Amino acid sequence: MPTEVILPKVDMDMTHGTIAVWHVAEGAHVTKGAALFDIETDKAAMEVEAPATGTLHHISAQPGDKVPVGGVVAYIYPADAEVGPMPTASGSGAEIAVEPAAADPHPAPTVQAAPADDAGSKPRATPAARAAARRANLDLADIAGTGPLGRVQHSDVAALVESRSVPAPAVWEAEGGALHVSHRKGDGPPLVLLHGFSADSQSWAPLEKALGPQQPLIRIDLPGHGRSPRRKIGSFAELARMVLDAFDEATRAHPSVHLLGHSLGGALALAIADTRARQVASLSLIAPAGLGPEIDAATLTGITRATRVESLAPWLRRLTAEPQGISDDYAKAAMTLRADPALQAAQADMAEVLFPDGVQPFDLRPALGRIECPTAMIWGRSDHILPYRHALAVGGDFAIHLLPGAGHVPQIECPDRVARIVARHMAAVTAAV
Amino acid sequence: MNAINPETALRTMSYAEAIREAMALAMEADPAVVLMGEDIGVYGGAFQVTLDLIERFGPDRVMDTPISELGGAGVAVGAALTGLKPIYEFQFSDFAMLAMEQIVNQAAKLRYMLGGEAAVPVVFRLPSGSGTGAAAQHSQSIEAWFGHVPGLKVLQPSTPEDAKGMLLAALADPDPVMIFEHKLLYKTRGHVPAGRYLTPIGKALVRRTGTDLTIVAGSIMVHRALEAAETLVAEGISAEVIDLRSIRPIDHATILASVRKTGRLMVVYEGVKAFGVGAEISALVAESDAFDYLDAPILRLGAADAPVPYNPDLERAAVPQVDTIAAGARRLFRREV
Amino acid sequence: MAKADNRPFALRTYAPEKLREALRRMYLIRRFEEGAEDCYMRGLIHGTMHLSIGQEASAMASCMELTDADKITSTHRGHGHCIAKGANVGRMFAEFFGKETGYCHGRGGSMHIADVKTGNLGANGIVGGGLPIAVGAALSAKRLGKPDVTVCFFGDGANNEGAFHEALNMAAIWKLPVVFVCENNRYGMSTPASYATAVPNISDRAAAYAMPGITVDGNDFSAVAEAVHHAIRRARNGEGPSLVENLTYRWRGHSKSDRNRYRTKEEIEEWMARDPIARFQADLIAHGILDQAGADAIAAEAVAAVAAGVEFAKASPAPDISEVTRYVHAE
Repeated sequence: MPTEVILPKVDMDMTHGTIAVWHVAEGAHVTKGAALFDIETDKAAMEVEAPATGTLHHISAQPGDKVPVGGVVAYIYPADAEVGPMPTASGSGAEIAVEPAAADPHPAPTVQAAPADDAGSKPRATPAARAAARRANLDLADIAGTGPLGRVQHSDVAALVESRSVPAPAVWEAEGGALHVSHRKGDGPPLVLLHGFSADSQSWAPLEKALGPQQPLIRIDLPGHGRSPRRKIGSFAELARMVLDAFDEATRAHPSVHLLGHSLGGALALAIADTRARQVASLSLIAPAGLGPEIDAATLTGITRATRVESLAPWLRRLTAEPQGISDDYAKAAMTLRADPALQAAQADMAEVLFPDGVQPFDLRPALGRIECPTAMIWGRSDHILPYRHALAVGGDFAIHLLPGAGHVPQIECPDRVARIVARHMAAVTAAV
Repeated sequence: MNAINPETALRTMSYAEAIREAMALAMEADPAVVLMGEDIGVYGGAFQVTLDLIERFGPDRVMDTPISELGGAGVAVGAALTGLKPIYEFQFSDFAMLAMEQIVNQAAKLRYMLGGEAAVPVVFRLPSGSGTGAAAQHSQSIEAWFGHVPGLKVLQPSTPEDAKGMLLAALADPDPVMIFEHKLLYKTRGHVPAGRYLTPIGKALVRRTGTDLTIVAGSIMVHRALEAAETLVAEGISAEVIDLRSIRPIDHATILASVRKTGRLMVVYEGVKAFGVGAEISALVAESDAFDYLDAPILRLGAADAPVPYNPDLERAAVPQVDTIAAGARRLFRREV
Repeated sequence: MAKADNRPFALRTYAPEKLREALRRMYLIRRFEEGAEDCYMRGLIHGTMHLSIGQEASAMASCMELTDADKITSTHRGHGHCIAKGANVGRMFAEFFGKETGYCHGRGGSMHIADVKTGNLGANGIVGGGLPIAVGAALSAKRLGKPDVTVCFFGDGANNEGAFHEALNMAAIWKLPVVFVCENNRYGMSTPASYATAVPNISDRAAAYAMPGITVDGNDFSAVAEAVHHAIRRARNGEGPSLVENLTYRWRGHSKSDRNRYRTKEEIEEWMARDPIARFQADLIAHGILDQAGADAIAAEAVAAVAAGVEFAKASPAPDISEVTRYVHAE
């Protein structure tokens, strides 16, 4: 029995949608949840996921075709099923009238000629108003501008948000309890992994695979991240103490460990190496925070605030050297992991504390100067979030690996290269002991 | 118990006196510091800034130079390269154009061209700005020209306190520093701490906090912006005034943080509006995340697109004044009166 | 009764080993520039370069009495001055090759070779740029009470720059220990000095600044050494600056893009016959300071040093492009 693929309703007052593009060809295999086609509505472009796994057949609406909501546009057959003639659509049983693109029987009424200076259909709005509308998921076209020349200003957006009495964000109650730690057994001293802001321990998967199954691992989820409790932090120092407690508990049985941190986790790794100098045999830092004031805080807040894949994906794409580095599927998966409103609230709160006014107020440069264990720094040359120049400007004895073609997440963009550097670094320390 | 002596707690002196005090302190502390310039000896400098220093330190350390700006600046560069710390006074900043070769091709570039193996710790002092009726060749504000030159540091003190602290900071800096002193400020008075202190180079100062509008200004424009800000209070506009202090390096962080807060930016400067300090700061904001916080277009207020005129009314009209700054602010709120 | 010493000034003034070292450095200058030209033609060096082949006596004889504390300022045609002042040809080649091991860490190239620690304040890409700087260095020596002198090299082209006149005037009014050495090689790029300069000899300009001025055969090592010797002595005695004009000739074009359309082949050949190195070497041999085998050994040593320098440069690392703004300010 084939599965119907319908044109879904994706907007409140939507009656029709236009197929923009098919991502899967007729007769091709498709996995449930993968992007199947894009639709355009009056307001947005949306991606529609495959409702089942199998082979795509009977595509009945081509790009440009306008289809009523709920209309069947294709079928997905299970792998072993026989593909027969096109089945009759279920539901109301009504014939689906696909309106070909070229013959729209209902042309939109002609809009009165706009003033000569009208810049197309783009609403006139200040950057602040645009940012506020983006955050509130409002369409600027729906907002009356009270500024000069009808410009939408921040206050106009704020007033609308107020009047719509958008429900307040889920009340977040800070939790307590120990941070979540997971272990992978292996030979020799374990490698302790500290992920970055808005990530979690699952983000190490590509690197773990590249490091090979023998490497023992200890992964710590930061508070408000992954499976750790949504704890409230008041400062970087408080966060560092929390993570240090988890580190001490998790490494009790290990007199010697290797330590690897990424971004915010890098700053925390530095703080731990500074206080547990005898226990940390080697330190690897991927694009560590805390070595200079600059940070692309807009991206971090953008990620914490995003409530939909569409608003999350552009921010995620800032993380990699090439925007294509973040696939739509990756963005979708990330959004699923971020769906918990308590997690979002905890992280937004943490961003306020850690990066007020878009700068990094905590400074780990002195700590780096004190570190005596062998330290390797790995940084993508195209890092848009934290500039690799921080590494060049700071004092201390460490190796710098600048990776061309990598952005802020080299452990995801080129896990094999990063794993090679980290493995060599740990092996050199072990050999020297 | 030491009672606080109000005489010393508030040490008031003029901008020119503060500069002189800085030079005297530096010369007492370091025999390598020498002053050079036209008529800085017994004449005391065109603006009486060096005044009696020749009597205190003698003609070997307060050296009158011939009217040879290119040669004089070059001698200062060569001396700085080989162990002295010269402070070279251009009689008017306009005359620095005669010495562009030595400032731009030599002083600014020597360290880099020589791969970091040379230092040119020279300080150029440049009386500048309009308002004295000296017309087109003695009234310019060309500080932005030097903002375009890597290797230079370009400062603009607005108060006696900064004038002293910046000169001492410039002398402590191992690279060439140009200090643009506004001629109309020489006689203005203010508190100046005693002893040696350094005003950090590249650090702007919020002279007035506000919530609705950021005004970035330098030199004398700081005072005009502060006055304009007061007149705006009655109209419900709360302006934050940032004293730029340093054109190169420029303090990104202070400016961006203020714009993120207020959402509006106006840059006020005395140089010709086009291709000036205002363009640099506007671009800085437009390129940064602070862009998202802008709630009005950015406004630049600079000098008219003309040489500085002689007629006093024309001269006044050619550069931003308190009323034009206030009017500019109203434009950003569309509350023109 | 002592017999009058008829030997040339340099030979009766300097020790034999110092004279042999001078010959060695002149050979080194020649081979260095030929080597640089060869590397350029093989595409190993980008940019351009200005060769001083034919002017070696002027550079070397002017530096005979300088210590590392004494300063020189040089010109765009400055390789000879650098080597005469003691520069290492390996680091010079490395700079030509744009390498991190070069004198300027690859930031300066041919026109900015300097070694401030040994008193070489740098070649200069601006005609006349070094003149006020040299006066400033002399001012430092005087103010700091040091006996150091500054030798300021410049070409005939610079004598019409304002900086020349301003610098000479200030050096004179303040009686500064500086020796202005004009290397008149007859052309400012293509324009003859005889056309561009109002006075017959550039040394005539000295009169305007109340300092001694002398014109000598710049391809005669001893003549240059003698003139500069007196100027340096005057400077060290606190009597002020002097102007020495060395008449010389560059065998090569102004730069690597010169097509030599402003001078004749005959003129070039006539000057090549007055090779300053051959003349100095002949003098040393004639007066028993050196034999032919010794001269050959010196020449061979220069060839080997240049070859080693090129190899050093080739093997040296390039600067890290991420450090493009390094050295703009103090670190």
